[in-house]
Amino acid sequence: MTKIIVPIGPQHPLLKEPVSFQLTVEGEHVTESAMRLGYVHRGIERLCQERTYVQNIHLLERICGICSHVHTTTFCQGVEALLGVKLPSRALYLRALLCELERIHSHLLWLGVLALNIGFDTIFMYAWHDREVVLDIMEDLSGGRVSHAVNIVGGVRFDLTDDRRVTLLRQLNGLEEQVRILLGVVEHEQTLQARTRNVGRLSLEQIRRYCVVGPVARASGLDVDLRRDMPRPPYDGLTFQVPVRQEGDVWARTLVRMLETVESVHLCRQMLDLLPPGPVSTRVSRRVPAGEVVSRTEAPRGEVVYYIRSDGSDKPARVKVRTPTLTNLITLPSQLENVNMADVSVVLSGVDLCIACADR
Amino acid sequence: MGFSLRSIVYLLPQVWRVLRAGPLTVQFPFAPPELQEGYRGQVVVDAARCRGCSLCVRDCPAFALELEREGREEYRLIYHPDRCAYCGQCELSCQFGAIRLSNTFTRATADRDTLTRVLVDRRPSPPPLDE
Ligand code: SF4
Ligand code: SF4
Repeated sequence: MTKIIVPIGPQHPLLKEPVSFQLTVEGEHVTESAMRLGYVHRGIERLCQERTYVQNIHLLERICGICSHVHTTTFCQGVEALLGVKLPSRALYLRALLCELERIHSHLLWLGVLALNIGFDTIFMYAWHDREVVLDIMEDLSGGRVSHAVNIVGGVRFDLTDDRRVTLLRQLNGLEEQVRILLGVVEHEQTLQARTRNVGRLSLEQIRRYCVVGPVARASGLDVDLRRDMPRPPYDGLTFQVPVRQEGDVWARTLVRMLETVESVHLCRQMLDLLPPGPVSTRVSRRVPAGEVVSRTEAPRGEVVYYIRSDGSDKPARVKVRTPTLTNLITLPSQLENVNMADVSVVLSGVDLCIACADR
Repeated sequence: MGFSLRSIVYLLPQVWRVLRAGPLTVQFPFAPPELQEGYRGQVVVDAARCRGCSLCVRDCPAFALELEREGREEYRLIYHPDRCAYCGQCELSCQFGAIRLSNTFTRATADRDTLTRVLVDRRPSPPPLDE
């Protein structure tokens, strides 16, 4: 049979960010695939060495347009470890609150993108409508919808009044209702299942071999979640489930993400209930003692790792970022093998790619 | 047929909710946008409070602020909105509460040089401000 090479990207309606795939197609089936990255490489890691720790928070926030807060959280966590400061617990709670809101936002956004790519526009509209609620909450708390700029080394720079806390709890109740409806759609809607079941399957063995993280790993039966496995405050005092499925296909990933969204709403509510009083930040020195540190956090897409080395000045000597998308991207060639051309969009969506994160 | 009917029934409450909510479109720029109180917008300065310490300039990650110093007390604080990332770091760094972010948008323009504003002018005989 004749082979046809189908290029997808770097600019393609299917892709929200520039990445390029070359699919070799025989008949209706993909036989080979190649991938090219680097279209949004901005040299952020190198730029970090030219800027102070204070400036770097804002620079690193711009690595990603979805999970921006988790990047600054991981960075600040690392710098705080180098400085040896202990954060007030209120600051830790508020930081984690935003992390969870961001997870809800990221998963709802992703559900919308998946729905759009499989031609299920209704769910795209509903998911993005509900995501607006989270964005409004985050904008109200931090002053920005995507770049929150709330983290500082030594704490956060926003506080919650008691009134605001009560309104937030009410908003979260409404949000949970909506998220449960979307969860119901994922569980029962048959057109969605017809498109996503048995597509892009990854076995547990493959997951281990590729070191996959996050919801993609959890959908294939690997029970990992940094929030539970390496709990730091406030997660050590909260109760939550880590949803795990065994199927390993795109449907399982969808379900895991939606179940996680519900858990995140619960977590937000618990944090608001348990929010300790006190200050939200401590003063820290601008110069960071020489040393190196590895900081890890569970981002919406999986574990994000920062390596920071300090030479004792007010600028880092090295910052290295390992984002979850990079490890998950590597699975794509094996997922794309032998899939029907029409399912390529489902496979590509299922991984929840964040190319800006991967390229930095 | 069977399963598609079920899907429609499942989503019916959603249709009702959306219809009840009414239109969500905002008529911006024909009507003023409704921005939250804490929205990080245009940078403004209370010139009387500014001491020209340049802490805001030092910490600005986007190099959007500039301090032109001519003497101990003579300086100009210049703001370039085309570079600004609206991060609010200047507000946090200022020890005198002089600079802050207001919840207004920066106006649009086709010529980025016209955006630049002199926030504080402490030169001996200040010529008329840019705006
Ligand atoms: S808001 Fe941020 S980028 Fe803009 S002037 Fe202030 S510090 Fe600079
Ligand atoms: S605005 Fe504040 S930080 Fe900036 S120069 Fe004036 S007093 Fe200093």
